[in-house]
Amino acid sequence: MELFVGEGNPHCLKVLAALEVTGVQCGVQFINHEEKVVPFLSRPALPALLLPSRQHLFSPNTICRYMFELNGPESSNQCNQWLEWEATVLQPVLFRALHMAVLQGKGSEVAKVLQGPLNVLDQSLGKGSTTYLTGEALSVADVVLWGALHPVLSDSSLALSAHQSVKAWFDRVAAVRGCQSAAQKVLQGKGLEAMRSYMQKQPAPQSSQGRDAQPCNS
Amino acid sequence: MALRELASLEKYLGLKKPNKYSTQGDKKVPVLQNNNAPPLVGLVTIACHLAKEAKRPELLGDGAEGRAVVQQWLEYRVTKLDGHAKEDTRSILKDLNLYLQDKVYLAGNQFTLADVLMYYGIHAIVLDLAVQEKEQYVNVARWFDHIQHHPGVRHHLPPVVVLRNRLYTSRHH
Repeated sequence: MELFVGEGNPHCLKVLAALEVTGVQCGVQFINHEEKVVPFLSRPALPALLLPSRQHLFSPNTICRYMFELNGPESSNQCNQWLEWEATVLQPVLFRALHMAVLQGKGSEVAKVLQGPLNVLDQSLGKGSTTYLTGEALSVADVVLWGALHPVLSDSSLALSAHQSVKAWFDRVAAVRGCQSAAQKVLQGKGLEAMRSYMQKQPAPQSSQGRDAQPCNS
Repeated sequence: MALRELASLEKYLGLKKPNKYSTQGDKKVPVLQNNNAPPLVGLVTIACHLAKEAKRPELLGDGAEGRAVVQQWLEYRVTKLDGHAKEDTRSILKDLNLYLQDKVYLAGNQFTLADVLMYYGIHAIVLDLAVQEKEQYVNVARWFDHIQHHPGVRHHLPPVVVLRNRLYTSRHH
């Protein structure tokens, strides 16, 4: 099994953390963002996991989930729900926030952009009395959400400190063996700045262009 | 839309007692109301739950690898296919066409939930394709035709004629 990742790509942080936390045996290759790994995808997609069956997985949350399921039980409904929320609700907002912070120098506006999803997470964590998102044991949902939020939550200049339950949970996951070293490998200790070249190659987020505007491609 | 999909999926799975649903937010994310458990949110999460409830675990794939491939396409459906920009339609079709070149179903030789949800999600795109485009994306067309004829899957969607009678070459004989 071989995992392909790229420096400064926040999705790669998630899968490397999942790999380190689960201890799954797997080769890791750091490659360029433009390199094509998955034969049937026309655009380069990282991270990608080459399975023993020679098939490719190319979605970060699916890769993380697979690593957890190799050594453990199938992920629960609650876990699946957090993964889907992360991919469909948090990611678009987070991407917009990173675009602002990394490329537009508008770090001061990030807190406002992320407020909605962070409120959801904070309320959910505050309501239950469990150590982690889905119970007393660390799950794939914790690792995925921690990895996704690491670049913004570990940057003190963005002032995202108002969510007490999120902060406590974030620090608990950060203390899990393997998480910090995954972040170090992807961000090289450079924080948000490490993501500049990755972010520059991504298409600009849709909503900042006015999602409601009528498409005019005549 | 998602609610109609889930209603069709329930019928396909043969679930006798229809579940109660609502939606959440501007994107109308489906929510499954549960009497004795917290509600479940999200199309993929609910669909996987229904497959388990109907005791059809094979629809979620076999073994860790099989399950991962199914999840891969379910994630693709809600992150890449749903809400894609119009100019990305072709690259989605092109990628899928290449992927399906040597496969009967998305997970290889086994029909799974990934086929059902990708079929529901891509129906509007395929409906809009011109005849020449259907020939260009022939593997997608073949797969699509296969799934829409899979017993009990189509329900709320109109059938699409995707394949021309491939016997037309016979006039040369």
